[in-house]
Amino acid sequence: MKLTRKYYDVKDIVWADKTEFKNNVLSICRQDLQSQVKPFMKNIIDIDFEIVKPGQNTRIIHLLDTICPMIKTSGEAKQYSGFFGDGITVGSGQTNMYRGFTIMESAPLPWEDDSASSGLLYPRDAIMDMTGPVAGFTPFNETLNLVIVYDLAEGKSSAEYDNDIRLCALKISEFLASLTIGLPADEEEVFCNKEVNDKLPNVVFVWQCQNQGVYANTFLYGHPIDNLVPVLLNPNEMLDGCVVSGNYVWPAFKVPTYLHANHPILLELYKKHGHEINFKGVIFSRSHNPSNWHKTRSAEFCVKIARELQADGLIMAWEGGGNAAVDGMLTIQSAEKRGIKTSTVTFEFGGKDGTEGVLLVDDVPEANAVVSGGSIEKAYTLPKVDRVVGGKRMRLNKEMGGYFPLAHEPITFETTTQLYLSGNQSAHGKLFAEQY
Amino acid sequence: MKKLKALYYINQFFAGIGGEEKADVGFSVLEQNKGPAIGIVKYWNGEMEVAKVIACGDNFINNDDNFQSILPEFDKLIEEIKPDVFIAGPAFNAGRYGVACAKVTDYFRKKGIPSVTGMYYENPAVKMYVKDNYIVSTPETAAGMRKTLPVLAKLALKLAKGEKVLAARFEGYLPTGHRYNEYHEDIAAVRVVDMLLAKLKNKPYQTEVPLRNFDLVKPAAKLNETDKIKVALITTGGLVPMGNPDKLKQAFSVDYGKYDITGLTKVSKGHYESIHGGYDTTIADEDPNRLIPLDAAKQLEKDGEIFEVINYFYSTCGVGTNVENATEIGSRIAADLKKQQVNAAFLTST
Repeated sequence: MKLTRKYYDVKDIVWADKTEFKNNVLSICRQDLQSQVKPFMKNIIDIDFEIVKPGQNTRIIHLLDTICPMIKTSGEAKQYSGFFGDGITVGSGQTNMYRGFTIMESAPLPWEDDSASSGLLYPRDAIMDMTGPVAGFTPFNETLNLVIVYDLAEGKSSAEYDNDIRLCALKISEFLASLTIGLPADEEEVFCNKEVNDKLPNVVFVWQCQNQGVYANTFLYGHPIDNLVPVLLNPNEMLDGCVVSGNYVWPAFKVPTYLHANHPILLELYKKHGHEINFKGVIFSRSHNPSNWHKTRSAEFCVKIARELQADGLIMAWEGGGNAAVDGMLTIQSAEKRGIKTSTVTFEFGGKDGTEGVLLVDDVPEANAVVSGGSIEKAYTLPKVDRVVGGKRMRLNKEMGGYFPLAHEPITFETTTQLYLSGNQSAHGKLFAEQY
Repeated sequence: MKKLKALYYINQFFAGIGGEEKADVGFSVLEQNKGPAIGIVKYWNGEMEVAKVIACGDNFINNDDNFQSILPEFDKLIEEIKPDVFIAGPAFNAGRYGVACAKVTDYFRKKGIPSVTGMYYENPAVKMYVKDNYIVSTPETAAGMRKTLPVLAKLALKLAKGEKVLAARFEGYLPTGHRYNEYHEDIAAVRVVDMLLAKLKNKPYQTEVPLRNFDLVKPAAKLNETDKIKVALITTGGLVPMGNPDKLKQAFSVDYGKYDITGLTKVSKGHYESIHGGYDTTIADEDPNRLIPLDAAKQLEKDGEIFEVINYFYSTCGVGTNVENATEIGSRIAADLKKQQVNAAFLTST
């Protein structure tokens, strides 16, 4: 597969009477966007938009997903394939995408028992700050963000809300990306892993995503992955958006669609392809398998594919907390036992100063190359902000009866679980636990 | 400018008193600099000097009574010299010297003197003292002295000046276990790929999350079908007789309880309760056999001739209990079971 990505740098976004992309400035007309998504608003009363820019003293709350606006400009397959048509294989031809610009979804998904997923799998609204002490937890403090704020109809099911929210955002993403068609790109990049050098080691990337039901979900070519056995993907398929997030449970750990389509580990492996390694592919699997039996089976499948690809090295990464860590560690163990060397990245515990309890929720003796994604057991105080996007109040701690503080006020969190992308397991960030 | 002052500790060997035969020699304040205390000074560029070198025999100081007896001498030196930093060793992989250096370093640190020592990472003293003390990483033997002294000197000077001590990887001390969130120079994706490449090329690399040295416990041999089974019932679910007569802790356990059940055919509600601090104990209290399945075990005893339940059950709380204490509790229970020729056990966990 050979994919050409054409990058269009967005330097600014402005409101306008006409939606267009000119001189690297994206002008947006609200009504244009609203008319694009009308057909998909079956369970949404109204939709509004906010522009958030780097350096603005702004907090975004009820944050669900972040999408990379792109459009395929050749072949019959569409970007984010499977959502508006058949799941035609992506990863070849040409794709236009914006750089420095994202589309975000924000909505307080209902907590009522009849719509929220069961037990601990209720939607936890992610929080991110564009400036201040936690801005560095997410890469999106450096991008221009168009936040879609949804006003949800009452009494609908979680699956209905989930579907509409995603389709609206993907539609807006496509519409805005379509403005680049025919324009000269700021940069082009070609991705192809076909040519291999026999003298270089073969490396695969195992990417394991969350699936525990609605609100804790991942889509592959438009379908939830609950029945997925580990499958081989060409890295280009992910670059074209074959994996889409539907995960709203743990803000620290969930991986936005933007990072599936621009996976930092995948991009880094591509950089090394052809001169330091042969990047042989992505093994995509479901984490949160229900029992040790299922987990072992899944780990064995992942490693079997790696062996078929004659992998010498394997990078293991997963979305989620303890449950997913077990799947990841079993995969590492299975690989190392068969002579495939591994490295991995994970968040850690350790309490206030790193000395309390164990650092990892699960580990195996074979996991001897572990990159720290930072400790989630550290307290952070978010300062007062001028502006909040997405609502007036935060919604916290449903399991303890709920706590709804005013969102612009300062607040201290004892752990980082509520803070968007602080778990750093897609390896996007610089946050890590330093040893003293 | 007035020079900063270091107080330096070495053993009988580096003090030139003698080798193993002099390991019992007591505390002394040396007349002149000896051993590493000579070599280290040149790295301070005149900013610091060794005010005094003190020494003990390795055997002498490792005896606790002896150690206690020389503490007043240490206090006197602190009073007299007012050292800006205390330095001990380096001890490399020498066990007794290592413990001595770490112990003395720990004492001076607690007295408010910034302190540092140095040794090989496998020196047994490291495990005992590294959490609260700066121990510079050294090679295994004294052949590594030349490599170690500049690192030790640099950190000692920094401590004496009261400057901020950077992370372990920058200063060269062994990680203390303290970990704080910071921002790395590179994103995690770059590091995880680089780490794999180093591993593939058999080049050295450093895991960022340390390995937990796992203890492998060999399972006991399988019983033969014809063996007589003498079985014990154990729980980490915190079951105790009502009122918790042994005052077992409900978390962070350091001990276990052993309770006589002679003549009972079950553990009854109201007579036993769970004191475990880590789960809702309601249904355990409703039927304590859920933790100690004495009812089922007694039934098996009645049904088959090869099955016998011993007259005690064992209980502790597996919540927040560290591995060291858990291992110790487990070994004591196992030893007690062996005395009674127990060859099988049911252990319930919650």
